[in-house]
Amino acid sequence: MKTRKLFLAIISFVLLLESSALAASDDWRKLNPKEKDKIRRNYERWEKLPPQDKEHLREEWDRWNRMPQDQRDRLKQRFNDHRGNRD
Amino acid sequence: MENRIAPLEGACKNYEEDLVLYYYGESGTEERSAMERHMAQCMPCRKFVDDLGRVLPQMSSKPEMPQAFWHSYFRETIEKLDEQEARQSWWRRWFVPMNGWLVPAFGTVAVAVLAIVLVIEKRDVVSNIDTASANIPAEVLVDSNQLEFFKSLEILESLSTLEQQEGVKPERKTSFNDSGRGAKAVA
Repeated sequence: MKTRKLFLAIISFVLLLESSALAASDDWRKLNPKEKDKIRRNYERWEKLPPQDKEHLREEWDRWNRMPQDQRDRLKQRFNDHRGNRD
Repeated sequence: MENRIAPLEGACKNYEEDLVLYYYGESGTEERSAMERHMAQCMPCRKFVDDLGRVLPQMSSKPEMPQAFWHSYFRETIEKLDEQEARQSWWRRWFVPMNGWLVPAFGTVAVAVLAIVLVIEKRDVVSNIDTASANIPAEVLVDSNQLEFFKSLEILESLSTLEQQEGVKPERKTSFNDSGRGAKAVA
């Protein structure tokens, strides 16, 4: 009886660890290959930026998150239009 | 009814319990003497003790069951056991003989299947992460906020310009090379 309980406890623990690991990597797994590649490129670029530029981008990120959703959508649209024209 | 027990006639109410104890020889010496003195003068109490001697042995006697009863009792018991055995479900009859090895075997197979599934799943996750994210640390990959940050990096770099083009005054004027306090939530 004791062995059975111990076995069940170990199995539950392993399943818990596994499910938490899977859940943690879920955001990344949901991305499509294009998005993953973009993130990878941006991360590699970010790594090479000087500290003050990193700091500036962190501030911009904060500001972006504080913006109203409609403003963010407009700016995103404008950015995509510009990029489309450039491409 | 020849076995019918005649009811006990009443004794003196105060002495009834003591008379029963007297009958069974469980009263002390003094009480016993007192009872005997009382019974010498009291006819109903004397009769009560005599009746106890007549009635109580009849009450405690075990009825003798005829042999036919025991034959029928044995037959009924066997029939009930047979019925109970017949009512057992098919799976129980199938499982019970294999109980010795089936449970451990099933447990072993279940653990093996679980291990294989976990290994395959893990390999899938690792390969998913490895192919596109060789240089990205795991803490970034599991943080949706950081993933979103790196996804939006290009917009962030052009944010001030985009706002100027839109005619909106940026909330706080920053230049790309400005340094200052920043959110530590990313990278």
